[in-house]
Amino acid sequence: MTREQWRKTEGFLALLLSTLAALLGLFWLVFILGDVLVHGVKALNAGLFMNDPAPAGVEGGGLRNAFVGQLLITVCATFIGVPVGVLGGTFLAEYARGRKIARIISILADIMVSVPSIVIGTFIYAILVRPVGHFSGWAGAVALSIIMIPVVLRTTEDMLSLVPWTLREAAFALGAPYYKVITQVVYRGAATGILTGILLSIARVAGETAPLLFTSFNNTFFAVNMKQPVASLTVTIFQYAMGPYDNWHEQAWAAAFVITIFILLLTVTGRLIIKWRYK
Amino acid sequence: MAESVELEVKGLNFHYAGNIHALKNINLTVYKNTVTALIGPSGCGKTTLLRCFNRMHDLYPKNRYEGEIWFQQQDILDKGTDLIQLRSRIGMVFQKPTPFPMSIFDNIAYGLKLKGIKKRAELSEKVEKALHHAALWDEVKDKLNASAYQLSGGQQQRLVIARALAVNPEVLLFDEPTSALDPISTAKIEELAETLKKEVTIVIVTHNMQQAARISDRTGFLMLGELIEYGKTDKIFTAPSEKLTEDYVTGRFG
Repeated sequence: MTREQWRKTEGFLALLLSTLAALLGLFWLVFILGDVLVHGVKALNAGLFMNDPAPAGVEGGGLRNAFVGQLLITVCATFIGVPVGVLGGTFLAEYARGRKIARIISILADIMVSVPSIVIGTFIYAILVRPVGHFSGWAGAVALSIIMIPVVLRTTEDMLSLVPWTLREAAFALGAPYYKVITQVVYRGAATGILTGILLSIARVAGETAPLLFTSFNNTFFAVNMKQPVASLTVTIFQYAMGPYDNWHEQAWAAAFVITIFILLLTVTGRLIIKWRYK
Repeated sequence: MAESVELEVKGLNFHYAGNIHALKNINLTVYKNTVTALIGPSGCGKTTLLRCFNRMHDLYPKNRYEGEIWFQQQDILDKGTDLIQLRSRIGMVFQKPTPFPMSIFDNIAYGLKLKGIKKRAELSEKVEKALHHAALWDEVKDKLNASAYQLSGGQQQRLVIARALAVNPEVLLFDEPTSALDPISTAKIEELAETLKKEVTIVIVTHNMQQAARISDRTGFLMLGELIEYGKTDKIFTAPSEKLTEDYVTGRFG
């Protein structure tokens, strides 16, 4: 073969391999989503959202407790994690800009992002569950918020850094104090980016099971008291999928479907905001 | 007509962080209601000097001033100077237009709100006045709530001038305000500078010598951090006393 033919063959091989790899990845994704969709839709019914679980082995019942619990824990985690993350990111990008401490915290946050979530779960177990003596919704919310914080913090830092310095100088030149420059000008410039980061971080924690297993655990009764164990979709899926009853399996499918759609919507919204912003 | 002094620079030395001696013993007087142009080759310190007047250098650590800049009865380089107040009295317009990510109205109202003006009617009145002042009102009066980013570069620059004017500054600093603009927008800004000097004192840094000659009353020529010559613009451009100035204004270098 001539060199030119070789080059073409190599090019073709590279194309073939990368296409196959992409298709393989896509195949599993579509498989999982399709499976969840098919089984989940079949098991969906109004009673699922209206009723609490029936006693084990008894037909019927729903997952109202888990839907509400999941929402409660996620919302609480967001309220704890977002302010800390946004303010922390603001510190890094504004007040500590260019200082060593900013770089160190940044790197630590990057490491935190990739810490296995079960480690965070056991950590919260040790500081918020063991000393109290029982599982609680708050422990779950704190565990999730700890997963959120580094994500929100880094996104906020990056988004604030993208706002040109001249804009800050212009605000300073009008006689604005720094905190007003940040809250009234810089945040506005970075708002869509930060919002996207927040949405994606919610999507990230909404699907977590491991940290909840050790913290909010589960509750077969309807509970909105965050001092008590609170049910969540992910832990429920874990228990029901492992359980021996067919109706548990069905409900687990339905729960999986609902949470997948929820996360999908959050992610898509986040992407749409990015697209809309950079158009 | 006797001119009164607005700004008086006495023995000013300025060091950037890392001990870069950017301004060397500058002495210069800016007169009230005039346009003062600062010219010189890139890196000569003209922008650095301009940014001393509103203490912009304080935003970055380890910059150091020596000497005095008198603004009325006050040495603005004094440690106790209230920078927020100083900057509302000495406004600045930058090289690239810097509209804030908000509506046209809110851009102008921003400085007013900083000054504590909250009443909608008063804000509206002052915003309109500032826009008239900056010769932008006719172009934007129907879209005050539109994003400032929708305006053209020249309009944005006039918007920024309006924003600076809205808070009634005594001095306006222009840092190469037309270098990012087309000739027509440039002409509008130059025209504006000439009408504005009735109310504010203008100091303008420019790379464009014709611009300095056209609009300024006095010109300072800087090189390598030193003020080589300072005087009436006519004289600087027609009969400079320094050889360096002559070489520069006739385009022999720079």
